[in-house]
Amino acid sequence: MIESILLVDDEDLFHLVFEDACSLLDITLSLQSISSADEAAKLFKKWFEHGPLEERPECVFVDLNIIGSSFDGIELIRKINFEYGNHVVIGIISSSNEATEQAKAVAAGAQFWIIKSDDIEPRLEDFKKDYDGYRNKTNPFKVYK
Amino acid sequence: MKIKIGDDTKKELIRLAETKSISLEGNILKVIDADGDEEFDAYLKDSIEKDTTKRKKRLEITKQIQKQNNELLEGKDKIETINSQLKAALEEAEESRKEALAAKEQAENSMIDAHHAREEAEKAKTEAINAKDIAESDLDFMQKKTQFELIGTIVKVALWVILGVGVITTAVFVIALFSGKDTTIVGSTWSNIVGILLTNAFSIIGTIMGVKYASEKKH
Repeated sequence: MIESILLVDDEDLFHLVFEDACSLLDITLSLQSISSADEAAKLFKKWFEHGPLEERPECVFVDLNIIGSSFDGIELIRKINFEYGNHVVIGIISSSNEATEQAKAVAAGAQFWIIKSDDIEPRLEDFKKDYDGYRNKTNPFKVYK
Repeated sequence: MKIKIGDDTKKELIRLAETKSISLEGNILKVIDADGDEEFDAYLKDSIEKDTTKRKKRLEITKQIQKQNNELLEGKDKIETINSQLKAALEEAEESRKEALAAKEQAENSMIDAHHAREEAEKAKTEAINAKDIAESDLDFMQKKTQFELIGTIVKVALWVILGVGVITTAVFVIALFSGKDTTIVGSTWSNIVGILLTNAFSIIGTIMGVKYASEKKH
């Protein structure tokens, strides 16, 4: 089970879906959902500069296009990986399946890409099975379709 | 990480579930340790089952709402697209209207210019006709003047010829009278010639007077 997850997504309804799916699949007991990439960046900056590092989530799911934010999900991943310490498992969760965007995400340090749909649970279940590989940095980038 | 709770709390939780159907919910259930208490373990399992059922139900409802929301958003996007297309079409129509008005104004200006040009052309035409009339009049005058001058010259020459003939005939008649020769033929000839000459002279003088009068009037 993942110790703690942070979801960054502007869609509030998806927060509920993700929370219930994670609970039903026993993916995590600790889930925090926020709607803004700016807010997420501030949190990571705070954890990186002032701590405590224990508050930092173990895994981060980032939406690709976060409406109302100054930058998109790929830029947030880049900031977390290259500016704020790179100590989390991080990837994209989006309805998009564009190869160019996925290539950008890989360049920014994303480890996975989960495609949102009505049936999200099987993908999260597969992700849960692969999770140890992401934590150990042994799994290659994977798209969950 | 598991947490243990006291027996009194366990009993109170079980009592609440039995009497008021109030159970613990959420992930907290997964971290509570029954600690060998079978009754509380059954309570935890029952609560987890109820929570799972509720979550499944809520997840399905949330998904349906999410789906409807997405459809509404798509509809909104389509409406916005149609609105923007309508707006663009209206702007285009307005632009065309402005262009048409500008073209109409330009046409009206051109018409006014054409009207002015026509007026100027008519004015120029009138001036040209006047100039032509003046030129024709001058030409006519010059022609007449030349004709009158020619006639005057002819008349003067004719007068001098008549005078010359008169003088010569008179001289011949005088010589014949003083030399004592027969003057019958010469005399009748002289009288005839003088008669003719006088008639013609008056005729010529009349013509000269006429020409002079006409010339003065023309001037």
